[in-house]
Amino acid sequence: MASTQTPVAPSLEAEPKPTLGQRLSNAFTLLILLAIVIIFTLLQRTTFLSIGNLNNVLIDTSQLLLLTIGVTFVIITAGIDLSISSILILSAVVAAKVMIQFSGTPEQVAAYSFPNQAMAIPIGLALGVLTGIVCGLVNGLLVTRLNMPSFIVTLGTLGVFLGIAQLLTGGTTVAGVPPAIQQDIGLRDLFPWPLFGADFRLIPPMIIAFVLTVAAAVLLNFTRFGRYTYAIGSNMAAARRVGIDVNRHLLKVYALSGFFAGVAGTFDLMRFGTASVGSHQSDNLAAISAAVIGGTSLFGGLGTIGGSVIGAFIPATLRNGLVISGVPAFWQNVAVGVVLILAVYIDQRRRSAEERM
Amino acid sequence: MVKAVAGRAMEPVLQVENINKHFGAVHALRNASLAVWPGEVVALIGDNGAGKSTLVNVLTGVLRPDSGTMIFAGERVSFSSPQEARAAGIETVYQDLAIAPHLDAVANIFLGRELTMPGLAGHLGFLDNGKMRRETEEQLTRLRVRIPKLGRRLVTLSGGQRQGVAVARAVMWASKIVFMDEPTAALGVAQTEMVLDLIREVRNTGIPVVFISHNMPNVFEVADRIVVLRLGEVVAELDPRTASIDDAVLAMTGARRRDARGEGAVVG
Amino acid sequence: MSISERCGAKASRRTIVKAGAGMTLAATLFGAGHLGTAARQDKTYRIAFIQGVIGDNFYITMDCGARAMADALGNITIETQGPERWGQELQTPILNAVVQSKPDAIMIAPNDTTGMIAPIKAAIDAGVPVLCVDTTIDSDIQLADVSTDNVEAGRVAARGLAEAIGEKGQVFIVNTIPGISTTDQRSQGFREEIAKFPNIEFVGEEFSNNDANQAAAIVSAKLQSDPELAGIFGTNLFSAQGAAAGVREQGKVGQVKVVSFDAGPTQVQDLKSGAADILIAQHPGDIGQIAVQLLHDFLTTGNPPDPKKYVTGATVITKENIDDPAVARYLYLSDCANYKLSDITPQEVAAPAEATPTA
Repeated sequence: MASTQTPVAPSLEAEPKPTLGQRLSNAFTLLILLAIVIIFTLLQRTTFLSIGNLNNVLIDTSQLLLLTIGVTFVIITAGIDLSISSILILSAVVAAKVMIQFSGTPEQVAAYSFPNQAMAIPIGLALGVLTGIVCGLVNGLLVTRLNMPSFIVTLGTLGVFLGIAQLLTGGTTVAGVPPAIQQDIGLRDLFPWPLFGADFRLIPPMIIAFVLTVAAAVLLNFTRFGRYTYAIGSNMAAARRVGIDVNRHLLKVYALSGFFAGVAGTFDLMRFGTASVGSHQSDNLAAISAAVIGGTSLFGGLGTIGGSVIGAFIPATLRNGLVISGVPAFWQNVAVGVVLILAVYIDQRRRSAEERM
Repeated sequence: MVKAVAGRAMEPVLQVENINKHFGAVHALRNASLAVWPGEVVALIGDNGAGKSTLVNVLTGVLRPDSGTMIFAGERVSFSSPQEARAAGIETVYQDLAIAPHLDAVANIFLGRELTMPGLAGHLGFLDNGKMRRETEEQLTRLRVRIPKLGRRLVTLSGGQRQGVAVARAVMWASKIVFMDEPTAALGVAQTEMVLDLIREVRNTGIPVVFISHNMPNVFEVADRIVVLRLGEVVAELDPRTASIDDAVLAMTGARRRDARGEGAVVG
Repeated sequence: MSISERCGAKASRRTIVKAGAGMTLAATLFGAGHLGTAARQDKTYRIAFIQGVIGDNFYITMDCGARAMADALGNITIETQGPERWGQELQTPILNAVVQSKPDAIMIAPNDTTGMIAPIKAAIDAGVPVLCVDTTIDSDIQLADVSTDNVEAGRVAARGLAEAIGEKGQVFIVNTIPGISTTDQRSQGFREEIAKFPNIEFVGEEFSNNDANQAAAIVSAKLQSDPELAGIFGTNLFSAQGAAAGVREQGKVGQVKVVSFDAGPTQVQDLKSGAADILIAQHPGDIGQIAVQLLHDFLTTGNPPDPKKYVTGATVITKENIDDPAVARYLYLSDCANYKLSDITPQEVAAPAEATPTA
């Protein structure tokens, strides 16, 4: 930047501190993750760092990862989306119902025969994801048109979407989904070669989660969409003054969060072959805390996809290692909670150091 | 009209006459008139509630006047939004730093006007960060705004540096005129000095600057002309080379309005 | 993990925590199987017990039974895990991690009859035999099932309630989450049996989502719409707790008879205070004990259990019989301090495969 360092410039202020703190703390979150991995690897004579186990962690975290990525966009705009867990459930239920509906007559389905499943499964998956987008649009419309706090809106739709899912199912787990969604799609190993050992399974949910995570990072870093997302969260009034259509953008951001939750919903069918309305009920808080661990500020304007990925994997890795070590479940909660507080504390320290002038 | 300045051959960039604006029972602007010529710095001063901000808001499209005419770049105009005013070449720097503190200078200067890549990537919204960066560097160099590193988020910069970016943004996009509403209100002495220098730099590029300030020394230091508002009326116009701060204060408070007129200030 | 964890009340948890930190060091320095009773055996077997949900007196009691049996056998250690809440997406990562710790066998209370099939299959494919306790899966891949005969327990509840209300009036079920095999079977058995009483009208079933507050709200609402309600059957711990609370809030204690499934401390208190009239106690300690016995036999002999289904009983508990030691031993526990192994054997409770249809 030699050209901006014009010597006659009327800059009388001291140079602010460099951004080392910021870099350090992003690295610090990664360090926490690495520390967890190293500790468990040293502690376990067995298999924490085995391909099979890391593979498990990746698969088990794929749903939470998607929710975290989606909600990261919302939180960067200084909003919150509490309804993602219910969107996930509703999307899974819609996808399951549609698959059952289209895969054969009720008699055929009851007899575990699914003549039209080749058509029914893609339609079900598409409508499941679409359900997520529609739910997100509903959130976005309520936030922007009624000018209500996103916390209240999504707290309300958290109940509404779950209630709709319960109405659709009568509160039961949706059974009778074509097993092909699980056996031939969800659990299909796309990497059958023994390069990484027999325990390595590359299943579609992992690939989908990976591709969408990369796409989200590109969107946030390199496009106008990402730029506006940060700008709105940083200073909404300023964004309005420069002519950004803030409401329209927020609508898209909530729809995006819904989309990610919808895709996560289809993972339920792919992995478990069922859509259960009783599950996932605390995933919203898990995703939000993962984003926060990853350095996303609840006050908006700050956050990265890379951070959120690390944030999603820290609690998952910690729990996995603690279970393998045989540590009782209650202590796992303590450990995850401590890491959450620690990560956010460091983040705050860094921010105040950075903004000190 | 206002004081006829000898040798001013050009047309005014902006000329408004008999602007009225009511807020309910409050008559915020009473037949306010103002003209701005290229390459001058006009200070708008007045007590709280005198109508300075209201006038600027009318001129920048934030508010619509109840009556009055507005001639801009030789044409009669009526802005229905700040976007329209901006499209016409009018930019505004706000007192409360209308920047996104979590973004860097490049992103702030191009905020809402991002340059995208050519071709398909551009249609998908991919940003041309290299080009925006180069143009930002040029602009900051031209205005002699010095910030430590272009890629740093503004939250890490000083208030003066941030205001420098805000002014640079306004100047970059203002083809005709820049308004500044209390640009130094939140700043310390050294930083204020930097912004005043910046105002001169802008004037030297030929673009007129209209700025609101409460700080009389600042006003007298940088303005070519001082327009005094009181209770929604333009009550005096002062030449900082001949008038004193006392004259300005008296005009603002109305205590010796008659005398102020007598001293060569002309009521608009 | 080779340290023998005795059922020593709170001490056991402390031991585990310390073990969590120092375990590896100890094991490395002194060699596996060095400490505890297991040292006398040629080989120790690690059984991982994955509970349906942690912190539930039912599963705690089952854990006591399992650990007491493990101590008695001498060459078994039990490691207990479980999800905080009921949910296949929470239990699956735990199961996966447990499999990675390479236990010799797993006993699990699956959170979903369908959803847990694939994860359990993956565990079995990884070479770890799996036995289902309490709940089950719609499959035959598991080594065996040990559970309460829930249909029969539902019938027992129906007969108990009918007697308490003089065989007439309206009755109602507060169930937990739909799709759980055990509670659905209790509900089924109850409805089948209650239909045999001509003067008793069955007025429906609601789901509490395993939340006592929701159950209380449901019962309060039901008492508003059907003020003549004579009896309520709560199909599990939280549903029954909530039902009792709802009756209490509506001031109908005594007028509405509540059958509470399970016999945790709160339900015992409800029974003593009159909010609940009958408790149906399962025998979770026996389930844990038999499961460990079956796994031990399989691990030492290599012969899979035959038959594959074992059903333990249910005991009716009332104010009158609660102090009888033979009944009191079935009350659920908060810790294992005073747990006594029962003399029940797998053969006594072996059931023909078709005895308990899955829901």
